[in-house]
Amino acid sequence: MKDLVESIAKALVDRPDEVVVTEIEGHQASVVELKVAKEDIGKIIGKQGRTAAAIRTILNAASAKLDKRSVLQILE
Amino acid sequence: MQTFEFEGRTTEEAIEQASRELNIPAEELEIDILEPGSAGIFGLVGGKKAKIKVTTEAQITPHEETETIEANHAESEPVETDSPDETELAFAKEVLENILSRIPVETTVHSQRVNGNIALNIRGDKSGLLIGRKGKTLDALQYIVNKIANKASEKKVRVVVDSEDYRKRQEESLVEMARDMGEKAKKTQKPVATDLLNPHERRIVHLALKPDEALNTKSKGDGLLKKVLIIPKK
Repeated sequence: MKDLVESIAKALVDRPDEVVVTEIEGHQASVVELKVAKEDIGKIIGKQGRTAAAIRTILNAASAKLDKRSVLQILE
Repeated sequence: MQTFEFEGRTTEEAIEQASRELNIPAEELEIDILEPGSAGIFGLVGGKKAKIKVTTEAQITPHEETETIEANHAESEPVETDSPDETELAFAKEVLENILSRIPVETTVHSQRVNGNIALNIRGDKSGLLIGRKGKTLDALQYIVNKIANKASEKKVRVVVDSEDYRKRQEESLVEMARDMGEKAKKTQKPVATDLLNPHERRIVHLALKPDEALNTKSKGDGLLKKVLIIPKK
């Protein structure tokens, strides 16, 4: 899941080298934390959170296949 | 950067018209509402037109209104954006493949040009995992691919992502639903409302009922998702 979020985030931002993704695995759910350059936060969130919502939707679909749950946290 | 002004009975209609005429999805337009417009009392008296200003970074030539609003042209609507070239086609395909390779489903992506848009078809997802409830996952993939493709490209490209013909089937069932609701509205002489629909779905409903002289259609609600009211003309 980390890979998935990382590849999408890197493609969306202006500074891909500053994208850091960490995954904290839990029993059933895992938390994927995404950190990007300050100027890029808007690009990841999008107008009215649309981009973030789309990333979460894709993440949910990918996790569902593995019978898991993943939560995306965007860190500031 | 270009700026245009549009008018409509509601801001929603004005935005829809802007999106139609400029050939850019509504969500990608920079919209300033100049006058919100009001329906007046029960939509009868004192109605004021809504006025919006639209700014876009894409290079576009607005087409003639008559050409785009004709309902009959719904499916073969002429698109005047530059046709995407091989590089853009290949790039969009690569972007989607890249994302899909990290989702545990065996799929292949086929790309082609359709009406000046890039159409990407995902094959192999038998379970519908990539479609999601009401196409939610497919819409998310399409949104992200569009963002990435347009970030790389100077000119505006539009990418439509489909899986197992979902969009085609969806359009057919929407048209059928719209016609059924239209019949109901005419029979009962009362307005009928659809579920909450996104701009693309609403457009299909509006266009499906446009040829019907006995019906009016109108979008109702706030935000990205709105209902379409199907109103019998008296």
